[in-house]
Parts: sequence; C-alpha cells; structure tokens
Amino acid sequence: MSADGQVDPPVAQGTPPAATAVGLATTRVSLRRRLLASPATVLALVILVFVVFGATQTDRFLDALTWINILRNAVFLVIVGVFTTMVLISGGLDLSIGSVFVAGAVSAAAAAHAGLPVPVTLMLGTSAGVAVGLLNGILINYARIPSIIVTLGTLFAVRSIVVAVTQGNSIGPLPIEFTTIGQGELFGIPYLIFYAIFIALIGHVLLQYANLGWSIRAIGGNSDASSRFGIPVRALSTLVYTLSGASAAFAGMLMASRLSSGSPSLGSGFELQVIAAAIIGGTSLSGSIGSIPGTVLGALLLSVLSTGLVLLKVDPSLQNFAVGAILILAAGVDQFRKGRMFRRAITPASAKRPAPGKA
Amino acid sequence: MSSETGVTPVVPAAAPPPAGTTQLERAGAGKVFGHVEALRDVDLTLGSGEVLALVGDNGAGKSTIVKVLSGVYNLDGGEFRIRDHAVNSMSPQMARAQGVATVFQDLALVETLDVTANIFLGQPITRGLVFANRGAMADAAAATLQSLKVRLPSVRVAVGELSGGQRQGVAIARAIHQDTPIVLMDEPTAALGVRETAQIRDMILELKARGKSVILVSHDMGLVFETADRIQVMRLGEVHGVRRTSATDRQEVVGLITGALDPDPRPARGGKA
Repeated sequence: MSADGQVDPPVAQGTPPAATAVGLATTRVSLRRRLLASPATVLALVILVFVVFGATQTDRFLDALTWINILRNAVFLVIVGVFTTMVLISGGLDLSIGSVFVAGAVSAAAAAHAGLPVPVTLMLGTSAGVAVGLLNGILINYARIPSIIVTLGTLFAVRSIVVAVTQGNSIGPLPIEFTTIGQGELFGIPYLIFYAIFIALIGHVLLQYANLGWSIRAIGGNSDASSRFGIPVRALSTLVYTLSGASAAFAGMLMASRLSSGSPSLGSGFELQVIAAAIIGGTSLSGSIGSIPGTVLGALLLSVLSTGLVLLKVDPSLQNFAVGAILILAAGVDQFRKGRMFRRAITPASAKRPAPGKA
Repeated sequence: MSSETGVTPVVPAAAPPPAGTTQLERAGAGKVFGHVEALRDVDLTLGSGEVLALVGDNGAGKSTIVKVLSGVYNLDGGEFRIRDHAVNSMSPQMARAQGVATVFQDLALVETLDVTANIFLGQPITRGLVFANRGAMADAAAATLQSLKVRLPSVRVAVGELSGGQRQGVAIARAIHQDTPIVLMDEPTAALGVRETAQIRDMILELKARGKSVILVSHDMGLVFETADRIQVMRLGEVHGVRRTSATDRQEVVGLITGALDPDPRPARGGKA
C-alpha cells in the first residue's frame, strides 16, 4: 500500500530508513498485551473470584441448572446492552429502553393473543421499538435536544401509553407458537442464550471490525472533527438510537414469550441495569470507549451477583447495594484509566518532553 | 518546484505567484458574522508549489479565510476559484474533492482513537465494502508519518497519549495523506516548543518540495520567513499588503500588521494593481 507514493523528492528519501520514526514492527499490539490492558479481563477475574468463593459456601454454585438460570437472566441485559454500548460509544445515552422493552412485550403479546402469525407478531413488536428509537434519534440529532432529556421524556411517555392502552392488565395467554421462542431449548440450553450469543457476536464484529463501528467511535470521541471529515454524524447517531430501540423491543418480546404474558409493568428500571452492565464492562459515559465483550461480562456479573447473593443467603434488600457499589467502582476505574491514558498534552511542559520513540 | 497537476493559467494578481500556475484564487470575497464584517473584499492567489503566509493580528480574518477555503464557512459575497472551478459555497468534503486539505487550528483529532484511525478519519481503506482494513491503514499511516519524520511510538497509540508536536504531526500527516494539491495550515505551531516548531518547518518545506501549494496562517514570524514565498498581511478583514518574502523584512511586515504602515493601494475590482 503506497499511499504517498506519488511524488517523493530526494528530501524524503535521503534519510536513513526508519531509525527514528514510527516502527512498523510496533503497529501490531500482541494479543497478550491487549488482554492485559482490557477491563474485560479484570471483570472476568472478579466473576471468577466470586464464583470460586461462592462454591466454597454452597454446592449449588456448581450446578448446571444454576448456570443456565444465570445465563438466561443475563440474556436480556446482553441483547439490549450490545446496542446501549453503541449508544454510549457514540456519545449518547438512551434511558427509554425500559419503556421500549415493555412496549415491545405488550404489542407483541397483543398481536400473538389476537392470533397473528409469529413473523407478523415479531415485526409489529420490533417496529414499536424502531419507531421510538427513530423518534429519539431525530429529536436528539436534528432538533438538538440533549439525549438525556429526550430519552427521559420517551421513558415516561411510552410507558404511559402502554399502561393507558392495556388499562394496566396483562395480555395472555399466548399461543404456544409464540411462547416457544422464549421457552424452547436445544440440548437443554434455552434458545434465549443462543439469541444473545448471536447478537453479541454481530455487535462485536460491527463495532470492532466494520467501518461503521469505527465511525461510531469517532463521533463519540469528537463529533465536530468527524463531521469535518465527512462522517454523517447525525444520520449515524440516529441509526444507533434506532437500533437501540429495536433491540429493547425485541428483548421485551422475548420476555413476553418467556413469561407467556405481556405485562405492562415489565422492564421497569431495566434501562438502569443495562447501562450499569455497559459501564461495569468498561464503556465510558463520555463516549468512544467501550466494548461488547466488556458489556457481556458486565451483564454476566450482574446476573451472577443476583443469583449468587440469593444462594449465599444475603438479605435480598442488600443486593442492590452490591450492584451500586460495583457500578461506582467501575466508573472510578474508568476515570483512573483515562486519567493515566490521556494527559493534557498541549502544554509547554509536554512540548519539551523527550520523544517517546526512544523510551 | 514545477507543477505536476493540470491547473489553470496564471491569473495576474497584486503580487503574482512566483512559478507555475494558479492553484487557488479568490476575488472580492466577503464574510459577515452578525454585525461583524470578518472579511471585506479580500483577494488571494496561490501558485503551484508555493507557500503563502497569511499573517495579521487577532481578528484580522486569517482563520476565517481558512474556514471558508476548507468548507466550514460559506462566503456571503464574492467567489473563489480552485483550479479553475468557481466556488462560492461548499462542504468540507467538497473542499477535499476540489483539492484542499486542511490542518485545522484545533487539529480536529479524535483523542480516544489511535493514530491510524485519525489519519483515515472518514475515509477508511475498506475490505469487502463493510470492514475496515486496519492492517493496510496502519501500514499506510506509518509510511506517511515516516516520510514526514514524525516520531511516534506506534501508529496504534491513542492520539490522546501524544505530545502537542506529535499531534500536530498526525494532523499534518492526515492532510498530506489526502494527497491534495493544496494544503491549508492554521496556526500549526501555536502550542509548540522550539524543537517541535522546527519539525513543523521541515514538514512545510517538505510539502513545498513535493510541489504542494500551502497556505500558512501563523503568528510566528520566524516560521513565516523561513518557509513562505509570499506574505499576505491581513488587517481588520482586509488585505493590507502582499510581499515577496525575498523583497521584504520583518520590520515592514510587522508595520503592515500593526497598521503603522499604510495599506497598499487597492486594485480596481476586476483590474490589476
């Protein structure tokens, strides 16, 4: 790849090759270094320590059924968390997902209850989420209303519509064709877990290897610069909110299917759990930084905790204390890492610093 | 220093560009912010392989000119021609398509992303349409940085970890990577120390040696006299004078900047000086 091979006057080539400048050999960071630097590694260790400790207290920690339960509970956090992570990385915030979750659950339940075929049911439920997500994206990016305000607004408004339409009643029973989606199993493993793995994989590839993912990181890091270099910032951000809405509604449908009913009280506080999972997983609230594996492990930690603390017979009312403490700790670690990573470089002091190339 | 790009014939201006052909020319350009007339009747000509310094006090309109030429602001009056294309409004992407790359004063870097991603911001090398070819981008970024002698630990470090001079080097490398005939540089040394300023000077001379046309906005008279072929002095949104570097000295340029010397007589619109 010779990008600047067009004109190369003697000035550029008269120098000894690469003694001082960028080393090509250093352009590929080893997997081991990347793993060590990753917050996901820390998180995996924390989960491991907790599980090992739990196992010394009660055998049930090692029970396969316990683990299927833990994973099944994490599924909803993961499916939505993948896209919440993208929203956060793009520099935004989506608080409306709890309400979109219930909107998806209730509209799909209503469609299934009315006897509509499963594909139509799924489409209806998802489009409820797409509609809210699109509305969020347009208000945030084109009407320029702050994301926290817009999505707090839709959080209230959408749940209010759901409660008004259902009159507060659950919708059920639901036909078996629909409930199989959330209750079926393959080799003893719930379908739900496969959906979550599939969506997390797609999300990871999108964010880490696709141009789209790099653009999402760019707009979260510096939207003004991104737009000056031709990234369609507003359209991209709107797309990310739309995906977030679609995923929340989809997860809501899965929940309705799993529970065989669509209750208007579903998903209350769900948005905060999902955001907590992403932040525990190393996603930065200030944008651009974060990863899907981190969020998956964050979701897993929350799920392991809620099951594990029950198994350890910890007072259930104290469970959220653990979640809160871990959340603050994770955000603190994130701040510390960023502080070390990004010193303010444009200062006279740093201008005199010797070139790191020699270090 | 001869031009290798097919461009328009020379257009006479107050002080004609030294060699080759006109890369960029603007006549009677105006720009208004609210009540403030930031640019008034500004002419500017840039030859192939020429370094034109734009100097002037704060508020003289230098950065406004850069923002107009890079597509960030639109003109309210007049027009400019880039390589024989008349333009009076454009987006940053159009500016690039017209052959203008910009090193912005704020650098427009994404600090959380690595050097590679910044150099390819908004124009990645793709693999199979959807995927980013990070390996190829890293190699190309490293090659460009090497050719500019920018010292970095790696092209995979986040820009936020770099020093001011290194960041400036990355921003310049990005502009060069776009391989446009015209490069705009807005205050490239404002935040830098002596050693790093010298590096930037070498990069500007390197650009010139490659036949690029450069507009350099700077307060640094040393840098201006070391690199520029011509110096255009702006004052209060107007052109106060244009001088060949070889035919002037700091005293005269500073006199024009502060207004101690009277402005040159303005050319009649559409005519010559």
